[in-house]
Amino acid sequence: MTTTSRIGRAAVFVLLCLIGISTIYPLVFMALNSMRTTQQFEVSPYGLPKHFTTADYHSLLSQVPFFQSILHSIIVVVPAVILATLCSALMAFVLTKTPVKLGNFLFWVMLTVMFMPGIVVLLPLYVRIAHMGLANNFAPAIFLYTAISIPYGTYLLRSNFRAIPDSVIEAARVDGGSWTRIFIRVVLPIAKPGIVTVGILTFLNIWNELFISLVLLHQPNNEMVTPTLANLSGKFSSDVPVIMAGLLIGAVPTLLVYLVSARVFIRGMLAGAIR
Amino acid sequence: MRPVQPTSSPPEQTQRRRRNIFPYVAILPAAILVVGLLVIPIVDTVFHSFTNWDGLTSSWIGLENYRLIFDNPVITQVFKNSLIFLISVPLILVSSLLVAVLVFEKVAGWRVFRFLFFIPNVLSPVIIGVLFSTFFLPGGLVDKVLSPFGLGNYPWLTHPFAARFVVIVALVWSSFGFGMVVILSAMTTIDQSLYDAAEIDGAGWWRRLWSITIPMISGALQFLSVINVIYTFTSLFGFVFVITAGGPGFSTTTLDYFTYLTTFENGQFGYGAALAALLFVVVLVLTAAQVKLFPQREVQGA
Repeated sequence: MTTTSRIGRAAVFVLLCLIGISTIYPLVFMALNSMRTTQQFEVSPYGLPKHFTTADYHSLLSQVPFFQSILHSIIVVVPAVILATLCSALMAFVLTKTPVKLGNFLFWVMLTVMFMPGIVVLLPLYVRIAHMGLANNFAPAIFLYTAISIPYGTYLLRSNFRAIPDSVIEAARVDGGSWTRIFIRVVLPIAKPGIVTVGILTFLNIWNELFISLVLLHQPNNEMVTPTLANLSGKFSSDVPVIMAGLLIGAVPTLLVYLVSARVFIRGMLAGAIR
Repeated sequence: MRPVQPTSSPPEQTQRRRRNIFPYVAILPAAILVVGLLVIPIVDTVFHSFTNWDGLTSSWIGLENYRLIFDNPVITQVFKNSLIFLISVPLILVSSLLVAVLVFEKVAGWRVFRFLFFIPNVLSPVIIGVLFSTFFLPGGLVDKVLSPFGLGNYPWLTHPFAARFVVIVALVWSSFGFGMVVILSAMTTIDQSLYDAAEIDGAGWWRRLWSITIPMISGALQFLSVINVIYTFTSLFGFVFVITAGGPGFSTTTLDYFTYLTTFENGQFGYGAALAALLFVVVLVLTAAQVKLFPQREVQGA
């Protein structure tokens, strides 16, 4: 579906550039203004700053334990992503490649809760967690994020594993391979791009989530990144450049993961790993 | 008839048993987490929606919480807000389709554009929300751009309709990249010969878009509509929290945000549980409607 005329292609390119600018400009705005003083920002928030300053970063980092909050997010999100992806892969394997039917009922349950907003489960869980003296502990957050990510992960990996021909599994069975061996030696290598893609999607979802992190971890010594970011405008309402500095640092982890994994990730999504 | 197999020796038997156990062990972690942290809490929520729970003690009060919900004018407002936010769904669909079709032209640098357009999806709604609300501050970027047209200094975040507009803009900006990827993924499966044949028959670019591309990607478009409708009802918390805090008044409050306010700001856990149960039913109905409306989606695959 391509147009061949030169003018047509030029027009497409110009349109793409315009949309590209509207995608990138907010980030550029964020970056440039984080290096302006508040006074400069008040005069003009556009163009290159006359004098680049790191003052905004200094005042941000002296008042908000920002890197600590990034560390807290890593402590919670990394184990949750690994656990959720592993559980989803195991579940999807049983659903698609083994004759065990028990998983089907569980999968049906997962489909019904797949789009459930966090508050429906967090409301009673919050009370139980507080009773158990685990409030402000990282463990409940890790396990809740894991649980909430499993249904979608299973759903995605199930369609991914289906693409593996059954004959491959059959052959491994005939050769006397156990299910464990087949999962590790046959399915995981073939499905690796899909699994990585689902892992990255899960990472982005959990890292960027606000509600659970806000409710479960709200002490200065355990706050995650998103609640810290959400509170910036309240703390620095008149200091937009300081807020911009915070947003920029807050954006770096996911941008970095995206940048590093873009090749595999985009290809994985295009191959249909997202629905 | 094949000869009866000789009884397998003990080591072989354990071997076989071990093989068969793996699938059950494999679903165990997912089963424990999903049942323990999702299913049981949902049941817990529904149970407590019939009580006057304060987080410590509760007693059965029947349908009282639900009566309170439906007597509360804010609830009507909240559902009205969600319906208004649904405007974002066609906007996301159209922008995703436009971007996908343009990228698919494969002009110079198309891979770079594809990379760029997904960036908003990588950012947290919190970052996007805070950023966009600074754009819409009085005298902010948007006012500056509009001032030559005599539209400057509009109270974007304090006017009900304008505040909803800001939330919708942030939502669309954050979502079109995902839509683009889903549509591109569907477009790559279209047989090129269809286009070649249409071109020979003299079909122009628009004609090919309408008569080939769009019908061939209808599955992807359905999927996107469904996902985004559900998203509108359930996942605007991050945006609403940082852009408007539900205001002005309750004009941008969604059901999940209102449940949050009731429960965690006001400590009304029983009433909050009833709101959460209502949210649960809304999501269940939307999910079921999706299954009913688009049963063939899974068969189409990828």
